[in-house]
Amino acid sequence: MLGYIIRRLGVAVIVMIGVAAITFAILHYLSPTPAYTVLGSKTTHAAILSWDKQHGYNRSELVQFLSYLGGVVHGNFGYSYKLNQTVSALFKENAGRSAYLSGAALVLSLVIAVPLGIAQAVKRNSPGDYAATALNFTLYSMPSFFLGLILIQFLALDWGIFPPGVSDTVTSTWQAIVHPQQLFLPIITLSLLNVASFSRYMRSSALDELAQDYIRLARAKGLSERVVLTRHLLRNACLPIITLVGLSIPYLVAGNLLIEVLFNYPGLGLLFYNALQLPDYNVMLAYTLLGALLTVLGNLIADVAVATADPRVRLD
Amino acid sequence: MTEPLSPSQQMEELGRAALVLPGPGGGLHELMPEGGQVQVVSSGWRLAVREFASNRLAVFALVLLIAIIGFCFLGPVFYQSNQTYSNPLVSYLAPGGSHLLGTDENGFDEFGRLMLGGQSALEIGAFASLVAIVIGTLYGAISGLIGGFVDGLMMRLVDILLSIPFLLIVLVLATKYNGTVLDLSLVLGVFSWLVPARLVRGEVLTLRTRDFVQAAQTMGSSRMRLIFRHLIPNAMSVTIVNVTFLIADSILALALLGYLGFGLQFPHTSWGDMLGNAQNYVQNGQWWLVYPVGGILVVVVLCCNLIGDALRDAVDVRLRRR
Repeated sequence: MLGYIIRRLGVAVIVMIGVAAITFAILHYLSPTPAYTVLGSKTTHAAILSWDKQHGYNRSELVQFLSYLGGVVHGNFGYSYKLNQTVSALFKENAGRSAYLSGAALVLSLVIAVPLGIAQAVKRNSPGDYAATALNFTLYSMPSFFLGLILIQFLALDWGIFPPGVSDTVTSTWQAIVHPQQLFLPIITLSLLNVASFSRYMRSSALDELAQDYIRLARAKGLSERVVLTRHLLRNACLPIITLVGLSIPYLVAGNLLIEVLFNYPGLGLLFYNALQLPDYNVMLAYTLLGALLTVLGNLIADVAVATADPRVRLD
Repeated sequence: MTEPLSPSQQMEELGRAALVLPGPGGGLHELMPEGGQVQVVSSGWRLAVREFASNRLAVFALVLLIAIIGFCFLGPVFYQSNQTYSNPLVSYLAPGGSHLLGTDENGFDEFGRLMLGGQSALEIGAFASLVAIVIGTLYGAISGLIGGFVDGLMMRLVDILLSIPFLLIVLVLATKYNGTVLDLSLVLGVFSWLVPARLVRGEVLTLRTRDFVQAAQTMGSSRMRLIFRHLIPNAMSVTIVNVTFLIADSILALALLGYLGFGLQFPHTSWGDMLGNAQNYVQNGQWWLVYPVGGILVVVVLCCNLIGDALRDAVDVRLRRR
C-alpha cells in the first residue's frame, strides 16, 4: 500500500508539472508580460523593456517557467500586480471560506443523497422513485447559477426565509461559521447539484446490492428491514460513493466559482472571477493549478480510500 | 422477453425460425429465398433504431428538441421583431400586447430574442462538439492503432489535460477569445475532445485484433485507409452516443460563460448572455427575462441527456447482437 501511494504520488508530481507547463504556456501566450498593467497604457516602449528586464520577463519562456516552478516549490505563486499582494497571501485569506462552503455542501449532499438513493432503490419503480429520478435528472441538466436564482426567488424573495446574498459583514471564515443563516442558500444550492449526481449512483449501487445473496440471507434470518438496510446494505452500497466523492472534489471548486459569484461570497472562486475581469494572470494561473492539484489528489485519495474500505480491492 | 412483440419483431422471429424446417424426408431442410427475393436481415443499426424508438421518453425528447430547433431557426420568419437597434423607450415592458414575452433592458423583444439566443447557443453547442469529436476520434484512432510507446505518450497527454478543470481553462481562454460564434466554439471544442479520444482508443484497441482489420492489414491497407475505412466507422456507435452528451455539456458551459460575461458580443446573444443580469431581474420582479430563457435552456440540455442515455442503451443492444 505504502509503495503504491509513493508511486502514485510520483506520477502525480509528473502530471502536475505537465499541467503547470500547459497552463503556463497558455497564460504566457495570452499575456507575455504584466508591464502594461503596472506602468499604465500611456507608457513608452523603452520603459516596458526596462521593466521586463528588471522583473525577469525578458528571459526565455523556458527559464521563466522553471523559475516559476522553483517559486511554487517554496510556496511563492507570484505577485498580483492588480491587487498589490502576493498570490499566496490572497489564497491564504480566501481558502478557508471556500473550503467551509465546499465542505458544508459536501456533507449536506451526502446526508441527503445516501438515504435518498437507498430509499429509491428499495421502492424502485414507485411514483416516488420516478419523481426523485425526474427531479435529479432536471437538476443535473441545470446550470448551477439558474438553480441558485430559482432558490433566491422562492426561499429569499417570495418567502423571506434566507437572505438573498451573503452580506458584507462576512469577512472571515469565523464570521461565516458564526452566521450560518448567511450561507444557507449557497450551501443548499451547491448541495442540491451534488445530490443530483450522487443519488443516481447511490440508487444503482443499492439496487445491485439488494439483489445479492447476503441481503436475502439477512432477511431470511428475520432481521428487521431497518437493520438489513443500515447494517448490511449501507456499508456495501456506499463503496462507489467514496470514489464519486473523490472525483467530485475538483467540481466542488469549479462549482464554487459560480455560486460564489452569484451570492457574492468572498472565496477563491470570486477571487478568480475578479481576476478574469481585470485580467490578473498570476491569480488565474494559481487557481487553475489548484483545481488540477485537487483533481489529481482527489483521484488518488479515492483509490486509496476504496482500497482501505473494501478489502477485496487490491492496489498494485 | 416479457413484452409482446411488435408485428415487425414477430416477422423477424418467424423468419429466423422458417430458415430451418424439418424436410419431407427427415432431416433438416433449409428454406431458401426464392429468386429475386432478398431475406430480411436485421442489421445492427436497425436493431439500435428500433430499440431507441421503443423508448417513449427518448422519442418525446427527440421530438421536443426538433421542435425547439425549429422554433429558434424558423420562428423569426413568423414572428418578426427588432433585434438590432436598442430602444430605451420600450425597455422592461411586461409581457402582453405586441410583445409576447415583454422586452429587456435594451427594448429588444424577449420572445424574438429567445429565438436569436437559441440559434447561437445551438450552433455553438453543435459546432463545439463537432470540433471535439473530430479531434477526439482521430487522436484516439491513431493512438490505438499505433500502440506501444507512442500510444502511451499520447494517452499521458490526455491524462494531463484531463486534470485541468474544464471550466477554468475555458474561462481563461475566453478572456481573450470571446464574442463570436467561431471563437466560443473553438474554445469549448479544443478542451472537450479528451473523453471521446479515450473512448475511441478503447474501441480501436479491441477492433484492431478483429479478423477484418487483420485481413485489411494483410492485404496492404495503408494506416490512413485502415483508420478511415475500417476503424472509425466501426467505432462510430461510441462516438454518436458521446456527441449528444458533448452537445449538452457545451450548451451548459456556454451558458456559464455567458452568465459570467464571456459570451457573445452585443447585439448578438446566446441564452447564457441573456441571463447575465438575471440576478437583478429576479430582484426587480422581471420574471419574463429569467424563467423562459432558463427553462428552454434546461429543456434542451435535458433532452440531449435523455437522448444520449437512450442511444447508449440502444447501441448496447446492437453490440450484444454483434
